[in-house]
Amino acid sequence: MSEENWIEVGSTDSIEEEDLIRFDHQDKTFCVYKLTDGFYATDGICTHEAVHLEDGLVMDDEIECPMHQGIFNIKSGEALSPPACEDLKTYPVKVDNDKIFIKID
Amino acid sequence: MKNNIIILGGGQAGIYAAREIRQNDSKSNIKILGEENSLPYERPPLSKDFLLDKKKAEDLYFHSNDVIKNENIEFENISINKVDFENKKLFAKNDNVYSYDSLLISTGSENKKLTLDNNLKNDIYYLRNLEEAKKIKEIVSNKNKITIIGGGFIGLEIASSLSQLQKKVIVIEIGNQLMGRIIPKQIADLVQNTHIEHGNEIILNKQIEKITKKNDDYEILLNDNSLIETDFIIAGIGSTPTVKLFENTNLKLDNGIVTNQFCETSIKDVYAAGDVSNFYHPFYERNMRLESYQHAQNHGICAGKNIAGVKTEYTSIPWMWSDQFNLNLQLTGICDEYDEIIERGNDINNGVIYFFLKNNKIRGACGVGIIGKVGRDIRITSKLTEKETIVDKQILSDQNLKLNKLVQK
Repeated sequence: MSEENWIEVGSTDSIEEEDLIRFDHQDKTFCVYKLTDGFYATDGICTHEAVHLEDGLVMDDEIECPMHQGIFNIKSGEALSPPACEDLKTYPVKVDNDKIFIKID
Repeated sequence: MKNNIIILGGGQAGIYAAREIRQNDSKSNIKILGEENSLPYERPPLSKDFLLDKKKAEDLYFHSNDVIKNENIEFENISINKVDFENKKLFAKNDNVYSYDSLLISTGSENKKLTLDNNLKNDIYYLRNLEEAKKIKEIVSNKNKITIIGGGFIGLEIASSLSQLQKKVIVIEIGNQLMGRIIPKQIADLVQNTHIEHGNEIILNKQIEKITKKNDDYEILLNDNSLIETDFIIAGIGSTPTVKLFENTNLKLDNGIVTNQFCETSIKDVYAAGDVSNFYHPFYERNMRLESYQHAQNHGICAGKNIAGVKTEYTSIPWMWSDQFNLNLQLTGICDEYDEIIERGNDINNGVIYFFLKNNKIRGACGVGIIGKVGRDIRITSKLTEKETIVDKQILSDQNLKLNKLVQK
């Protein structure tokens, strides 16, 4: 695991609990979530249609797309409810000195 | 026990029912009889990404052939022309006979057709299925001035797509607003403005008197004597449930097949789901018929559970969407039973939502905004509606205050 792949997203207090922020890096968009037990990250675009998940609803470890209500498990990326059927990619997250980092491959 | 389960209708409700039955019943034979020669597919993209060439036919299937085969669900492309409920048999046009122990009817709905006095039947196009979408897509590539009769969801979505293909588009609507059957006027007017800003012409309050063919073009005479010249006509004037097959049977019909909250019809072992069903909704304490993606899916799943013996009430709060240009419009619940309306937001760029309340509880809401801007609030609204939460109107009306504060855990 090379250190340079850990990208700083922001400070831990930049996200409210049960909420998310959008994070753009190079040409990709990610969503970084704060759940009751920690921070998680997924791709930022729904796998069903190209819409940003940043405006979606976070509830009970799930992110729901704001456009067509496709639902994904934030921790596993699993597509839980149609029209989404393709899983959402997830990324490792770590917290260091109150800063959130995600590992982009 | 091993049963023969037949699902009549190969659309969204049918395939979701089939898969749900299989989840609960590994033994029974499940066979879908579909009139279209295609595995069940998503219809919403037909008027949008399919016309715009952003999605191909093969992108639209709900599930691949492999998934359906793995679950041991049979799919047959066949047209049924007679039903014998007493002896539990279906008869096909080719003389095949199908016997069932349980039957799900998910035949959907079909387009209403314009009644025209001259022989223009084949000149007016409609959009419901993949074949029709393919035909429209091919023909419009050579057309420039297109008239859409009917300012409902389908007409406006097509108008949005054709405008993006640089076509001149005219929409003629008989009512005094767009999408008048279910969308509040405040929202309809915002959508109308967007169409006009993109160059589409919207004509309200006008009826078609006569359509005349002139060489390869058409003249449409309206009831105010104005004349529209056009080279292609598409009509989207609503739909009716597909029930012709059952008209002379004992099956109770009234604006579709009448079902209870368990998707059961008036005949034992016969169920109905999706667009074709006029179902009892326990939350709203009335019957309703819905034509939407979410309903077809969830109602199919509910029917599947009940057929498999898992008694389940259908209590889904209605939800639907329409995408036009860069707008996403969403509706949840029922917006015609209210004693108070509350507005949230006033700028389409940040989203505008109207909540319809009765006795301080939300019965329904409708919103529109740039894609992504109303979905989260509408989804929370569905939850508030379902839980019959007494809502804080200050939070509802202030876009700076998050609605999820209102959701009780």
